[in-house]
Amino acid sequence: MILDVMVQPIYAAFRPWAILALAAAPLCAQTPSAEFFEKEIRPVLADKCYGCHSSKLKSPMGGLVLDTKAGVLKGGNGGPVLLAGDAKNSRLLRALTYNDTELRMPPTGKLPEEKVAAFEKWIAAGAPDPRQDATVGTASAVSIAKKGMDIEAGRKWWAFQPVNALPQPKVRNAAFAKQWTKDKIDWFILAKLEQNKLKPSPAADRATLIERATLDLTGLRPTYDEVQAFAADKAPDAYEKLLDRLLASPRYGERWGRYWLDVARFGEDNPTSEATNPAYPFAWRYRDWVIESVNKDVPFNRFVKLQLAADQMPGTSHDDLRALGYLGAAPVYHTDLRLSKDVIETLFTDGWDERVDAVSRGIMGLTVGCARCHDHKFDPILTKDYYALAGVFSSTVAAPRPTAEVDKETEQKFMFASQRIFYLSYLANLMNGEPGSKPEDAAKLVTQFTKELIETRDSMAFLKEDHIEMWNYLNNLARVPQVKKPAAVPPAVVNAAVEPVVPAPRPMPPANARRGRAGASDLPFMQSVFDAGVWINGSDPDLTLVDIKPGVPRDMNILPHANVASPGPIVPRQFLSVLSKGDTTFKNGSGRLELADRIFSDAAPLTARVFVNRAWAWHFGKPLVATQSDFGVQGEKPTHPELLDDLTARFIANGWSWKWLHREIMLSASYRQASHPRPEGTVADPTNHLLWRMNPRRLDVEAFRDSLLEVSGALDEKPAALSEDLDAVESHRRTVYGRVSRGRLNTVLQLYDFPDPTMSAPQRDLTTSPLQQLFVMNSSFVKDRATELVKLVDSETENSAKVRALYRRTLERDPSPKEVDLALSYLQKGTLADYAQALLATNEVIFWP
Amino acid sequence: MMNKLSRRDWIASLSGGMGVLGLAGMFSEAEARAAVTARPLVPAPMKFPNFTPKAKANIVLFMVGGPSQLDMFDPKPALFKYQGQRPASVDLRTERITGGLLPSSFEFKQYGRGGVHVSSLLPKIASVIDEICVIKSMYTFNPTHTPARSLFHTGNIAATRPSMGSWISYGLGSENKNLPGFVVLSPQASNERGLSRSGFLPAKHQGTSFDDSVTEPDKMIRYLQNKDLDKEKQREQLDLIQSLNKDHQQSFGQDDFLEGRIQSMETAYSMQFEATDAFDIRHEPESVRTLYGDTPFANGCLLARRLVERGVRTVHVYFGPGQPWDDHSKIDKNLTERCPGMDKACAALITDLKQRGLLDETLVTWGGEFGRTPVSESGDGRDHNPYGFTMWMAGGGVKGGIAYGETDEFGFKAVEKSVSIHDLHATMLNQMGVDHTKLTYRYAGRDFRLTDVYGEVVRDILV
Repeated sequence: MILDVMVQPIYAAFRPWAILALAAAPLCAQTPSAEFFEKEIRPVLADKCYGCHSSKLKSPMGGLVLDTKAGVLKGGNGGPVLLAGDAKNSRLLRALTYNDTELRMPPTGKLPEEKVAAFEKWIAAGAPDPRQDATVGTASAVSIAKKGMDIEAGRKWWAFQPVNALPQPKVRNAAFAKQWTKDKIDWFILAKLEQNKLKPSPAADRATLIERATLDLTGLRPTYDEVQAFAADKAPDAYEKLLDRLLASPRYGERWGRYWLDVARFGEDNPTSEATNPAYPFAWRYRDWVIESVNKDVPFNRFVKLQLAADQMPGTSHDDLRALGYLGAAPVYHTDLRLSKDVIETLFTDGWDERVDAVSRGIMGLTVGCARCHDHKFDPILTKDYYALAGVFSSTVAAPRPTAEVDKETEQKFMFASQRIFYLSYLANLMNGEPGSKPEDAAKLVTQFTKELIETRDSMAFLKEDHIEMWNYLNNLARVPQVKKPAAVPPAVVNAAVEPVVPAPRPMPPANARRGRAGASDLPFMQSVFDAGVWINGSDPDLTLVDIKPGVPRDMNILPHANVASPGPIVPRQFLSVLSKGDTTFKNGSGRLELADRIFSDAAPLTARVFVNRAWAWHFGKPLVATQSDFGVQGEKPTHPELLDDLTARFIANGWSWKWLHREIMLSASYRQASHPRPEGTVADPTNHLLWRMNPRRLDVEAFRDSLLEVSGALDEKPAALSEDLDAVESHRRTVYGRVSRGRLNTVLQLYDFPDPTMSAPQRDLTTSPLQQLFVMNSSFVKDRATELVKLVDSETENSAKVRALYRRTLERDPSPKEVDLALSYLQKGTLADYAQALLATNEVIFWP
Repeated sequence: MMNKLSRRDWIASLSGGMGVLGLAGMFSEAEARAAVTARPLVPAPMKFPNFTPKAKANIVLFMVGGPSQLDMFDPKPALFKYQGQRPASVDLRTERITGGLLPSSFEFKQYGRGGVHVSSLLPKIASVIDEICVIKSMYTFNPTHTPARSLFHTGNIAATRPSMGSWISYGLGSENKNLPGFVVLSPQASNERGLSRSGFLPAKHQGTSFDDSVTEPDKMIRYLQNKDLDKEKQREQLDLIQSLNKDHQQSFGQDDFLEGRIQSMETAYSMQFEATDAFDIRHEPESVRTLYGDTPFANGCLLARRLVERGVRTVHVYFGPGQPWDDHSKIDKNLTERCPGMDKACAALITDLKQRGLLDETLVTWGGEFGRTPVSESGDGRDHNPYGFTMWMAGGGVKGGIAYGETDEFGFKAVEKSVSIHDLHATMLNQMGVDHTKLTYRYAGRDFRLTDVYGEVVRDILV
């Protein structure tokens, strides 16, 4: 039930086995000493080696199998391990002697000298091996380990199989099942519980249920009145109606949109901020699009497709183009174009790699990025698959797009011009005053870049007439240098130690202090992309140039070991081999739309499983597949495979609807269970894989911070708009509207385990630390909430009434007599504000039962 | 599900008006751990230490970015002979494109009773070399920062496992319940993200990070001080919180998070006062401040001493911000600027610990996630080198005045007595009195170790 985690073969993985290849040597025809082998060799192999090097393993480490004669003869991924008769040059002996840094076996410690000596003797004698291999099955095991799973075998991998709704599983106690189950999910849960001799927990009480569901769907606490009304509502569909109300609330999208933003590694700047990778002032519009779309229950397949290819999908509203912020505000790295072509090309390929990783892990639950240097070591993903996908992103360029609907041609011209002007401004200023290898050439370059810059800008002057905002944007972007004389630098030091001063980049676009806060701008643009191939041009001795060709896609060369200096053959842009059949070459522009289509046709079962599993984890606090972004061989298997398949199939059948999925999950009796520990459950299944109870949880930072604002009456529910600095005293909007910096993450977000926005997050790992408690006890944010709370209960005269009012606001319940006593005795000396703060600091506020 | 200790004592403490003492004072570490073991199916921690420890505290001086062993501790005359050339043996894959061999610009001399080589960049470390064991044959598994850094801190290249500091906290607990058992000091307190996590270990073993680029404790530790309530009033408020928490937990049932947060509240409360003193290096005499210097790293080293003096088990001092030792270019200029402050602070720490009689029981380890290549990058820099690099250890039962292991003739690969990160971890734990094969935690169906299935104690360097 609990799945084994594979021992990470890190030593094996990094060891350059390949360089140790030795020619295969035939076994010598000496008199075989079966007895010596059986007495001295086999016991050691069995005891120390078979654990990792057995034909019975799916992926023997290093591709080496030692429990068969053939395996010993064949060797590992790097070639033979023994040269019969030549102990000294046999890798096996080298590993055993521990003399080699790279090669030491067994990893648990060196064998006693006499055992090593026995191996030496055995190999010297020609390595006689009396074993009779029973089958020839080892070859396939070895080949899997050597090359990962091959494509045909890979097609059979569980996560790639079509999903089908399954018959309701049989349970033993039919009477109980009939009484307990609420929907189909419960039958799967119950069947597994029964197999493990466990029972589900009783249903949670009404107050807990409404609190759980409200936090779940809106990230906010219910009010006291809502709790009371729900507790009193005896209608059979009271809970259904509650879910309907919550799903219709605009607060819902703010909660569930934020979950997606973790996967989409949403951020409003770059991991570092330099001349070529400034912040994304319009990224907030992508965030708002996500929230609005989730609120509108845009089917998940369309939701993702829009993020990859909204500009290429017929009938897309202009508003939906904001979805392209997924690509248009992706993390990029600084490319100082004075560096060599290879360095720049490497940085660009790193950027494309980022996109391959975000799309493959985030959307498809596959670690395609592992195939960048070599075929995937475990999954059926080839290096050519990787570069086929990378080509989509080397054919896609980021640029801002106007929010106003203008004609297609103007829009395309604007996007290309803005990209070009940014690039030429950077280059012209970079080379201004730079000596270069020949100063006069460098000066010529500055002149040339400046000329092109002005020409490009002026070619867009027609915008002044009808689209002044667009013109202003480009005009601000164009930084025409004051041409300086190149510094006189002796040629000898050129290109060595001189660090020319790079002009500080001007914020792009100029910060609008009045309208934009925390680096966000409300100028009418969105972060977006257009189709253009990117080539790195090394023709100039001083500068690496970047050639961008609109409308011309760039198929990538395979780069073995990710080395741009030794490109292999070109591979056409296409979909992953294992998930498709026949010719899937992308033909339309960059191929983003075809990629998106394939993700939701060929790969639909996988993609849907991955999302259903994520949604399950967001609802239950624990996924069915523990490795949420890795459904490959290295990932975990589902705890409830039939349930996952059935739910996924029905999710697809119900039009990929988020809200259908929420209802299906939340209506289940499994979801409605109490979360209290029960002895038999904690003994039999301490991690609650089987769901014998609901998982109690800690609120994440958004729900916690928002709840504090809400209960103190301070929450500003204004939806959408510019990101705010969460540290600002006046920042009272929902946390999802706080600025997310990839370079310098807000400390409160960091304190409460917000994931690193530079990469797609599989899940959040919630922690408990004293620093969080200092925030609760001492921050002005929490103290301000307490002060506001007190004002809200000011109309009451008696302390006991004030206390009751505070309980109703913060914990949506009345205090117990003991709690009233505690309060009154505290208030004899302490103030009401300090008391209110204490309530906000209790576990009950941050706990999600 | 409640364990007997907490329920009765809690109620007694709260109704009996004993709250001022604080809950932390009521749980000895042993009791607290006994309480943990009483839970069903949670693997009972072994009794640690397994044997008499040499060291009580563990300080790691982490040179983020990968410092150049070739310019500090590992002189290679062959680099001059083959300058600019690229013999086949140096054709190892590293992160970036590299060129020919680049000799060090810094002069090496031998110091101390063991004649240990140290370059002119580190005169002060050279002067205390008799306390130091220089390990020249370290190697790691990944030529990129994040995975290599993660391996160094967690024993695994994916940054999800518990940090070594968390493992030590889990195994040995803390000697001072008012301070976190595992402290991370780093300018801007941001570049250690993920490297101090407790992973699958209970959250209380997570490292707690502080910004050592400032000296005022209330600036260093955000929200450290309560601006409205004095100590006593705050205690009363906390007693109220904890009383409510306790009742809440009782009605809910045993829960790791609820328990952890109750404990964490107590630690936070005590930290305010204890930390205000402990973290204030301005309480040190001027002579001591001068000894260390006034860089953030020097503050970190001095703070590390103040903290281990107060019973903090593990202190990681990051030389940051960012990854300053990542000298892909202009390495000579950079090292000339950066080394003096580091040199001074490290030597001061060793001298200071020694003078206070703390060096014997404090293990100090210096190094980065990897070293640098003997081949040049962009003419005047060095690329990442995971194949062979230098770290050093001092105090805590490690032999001083020796160099251990060798790299090849160019200083690229460790070739003699090579030491893996897991070997290093095994050795560190050993000095803390912990058998690294016994410090395990059952998670997701198997017993995990800091050293996974690897690691051998480097016995040759031990006293």
